[in-house]
Amino acid sequence: MNFAVIGQNIVKLWLKYWDKFLITGMEYTLSLAALTVFFGAIIGSMIALMRMSKIPPLRWIAAVYTELIRGTPMLLQLYLFYFALPQLIPFLNRKQYLCVAIALICNSAAYVSEIIRSGIQAVDIGQTEAARSLGMSKSLTMTEIILPQAVKNILPALCNEFIMITKDTSLASTFFIGDLMTQVLLVKGATYLTFEPLVIAAAIYFVVTFILSKLVALLERRMRRGDIR
Amino acid sequence: MATNNELIRVVDVVKEYNKGEVKALNGCSLTVNRGEVVAIVGSSGSGKSTMLRCLNMLEVPTSGHIYFDGVDLADKNVDINLHRRKMGMVFQHFNLFPHKTVMQNIMLAPVHLKLKTKAEARAKGEELLKRIGLLEKANEYPNMLSGGQKQRIAIVRALAMEPEVMLFDEPTSALDPEMVNEVLDLMRDLAKAGMTMVVVTHEMGFAREVADRVIFMDGGQILESNTPEKLFDHPQNPRLKDFLSKVL
Repeated sequence: MNFAVIGQNIVKLWLKYWDKFLITGMEYTLSLAALTVFFGAIIGSMIALMRMSKIPPLRWIAAVYTELIRGTPMLLQLYLFYFALPQLIPFLNRKQYLCVAIALICNSAAYVSEIIRSGIQAVDIGQTEAARSLGMSKSLTMTEIILPQAVKNILPALCNEFIMITKDTSLASTFFIGDLMTQVLLVKGATYLTFEPLVIAAAIYFVVTFILSKLVALLERRMRRGDIR
Repeated sequence: MATNNELIRVVDVVKEYNKGEVKALNGCSLTVNRGEVVAIVGSSGSGKSTMLRCLNMLEVPTSGHIYFDGVDLADKNVDINLHRRKMGMVFQHFNLFPHKTVMQNIMLAPVHLKLKTKAEARAKGEELLKRIGLLEKANEYPNMLSGGQKQRIAIVRALAMEPEVMLFDEPTSALDPEMVNEVLDLMRDLAKAGMTMVVVTHEMGFAREVADRVIFMDGGQILESNTPEKLFDHPQNPRLKDFLSKVL
């Protein structure tokens, strides 16, 4: 391996294709991640509510869903959704981006539901007891007492999920949907260079997730402030 | 004992956990009259906290009845929320809402349950805080307060609902020794003002001084119930004698 040549190639590739990596690739990667976490959070909340519901069938459905999603590889889920969805819903035919997005959302929802559930259950039971003993209803206790405190547990974990998803979107390149990893494949095809585009992509993934995780840490600190008990 | 004076009557309450493997309460009956201060004592695991928590249905009894003002709270058709409003509860660990200021803690339930307007609730809160000398803490968050202050505010929060009875679950057990008295003093004032109180406590001195009646529990049963003088000075039950020899 000639490091000097590799270094030169990386610089050359970067100068020629930087916009493909940084603009096009990141646009798809980050939009896909944002879309996934946003809808994942909405659906995840509903699953979390189902999981904590008093009605057993709702609980079972939510539990089975979460376990199935968490117990199978994401790449396999992507394949399943990618090939099955257009057959089930004709509207999704040839809409690869949407199919991949739905697969990622369904995957993320399972993890997010666990984040939300544990965030809610981490709030001291004494808080519920105090609120209920004052005559507050279950729903009022939830909205006024539990959720505002649970958000402190949930939000940082949700941001970490966003970071995870940002990396996981690279699996979507299997279907050439335009994310950063897809750009690597495209540049590789155009230049016959295998190693160099990967290094560039790795650097970009790292910088982005590093910045994001630092922001999450900051957020976490801010939310902890004035919360020492 | 005039029956129309009766506020709480517990009949044969049993509380089981793990499908009957653990019996926390094994057939307890007691009555609490209006204006009466009842102290419940006993070693840990004797069921005294469970008994207290059954009074406002934080623990739902496996069987038995709990009449509050003549209404059986154990009846599933009773809207427990309406009755809990009239029963203030104070916990060992205060359970103030950490994301709300002291004043918000006090105003929250009366305002949300539409018992008072915001202005009325604030006025009531200020009056109560002034009474315990913590008015200047009104806009602070609970984590800025000492344990004793937290517990006094927890008591005030319950009082803001203008309850008919106050339930205390070991209110001084989580406090540093030097803060115990400020809480006990407030409870003493409440008792003097005629508040009906049920107090689970390890403070035997307090029970003897303030309570009208002391109940000794052991193994999920009420073994003795008497005036403090008789119960502490002339205990009948051997287990009570044993308990008192350890704590006094």
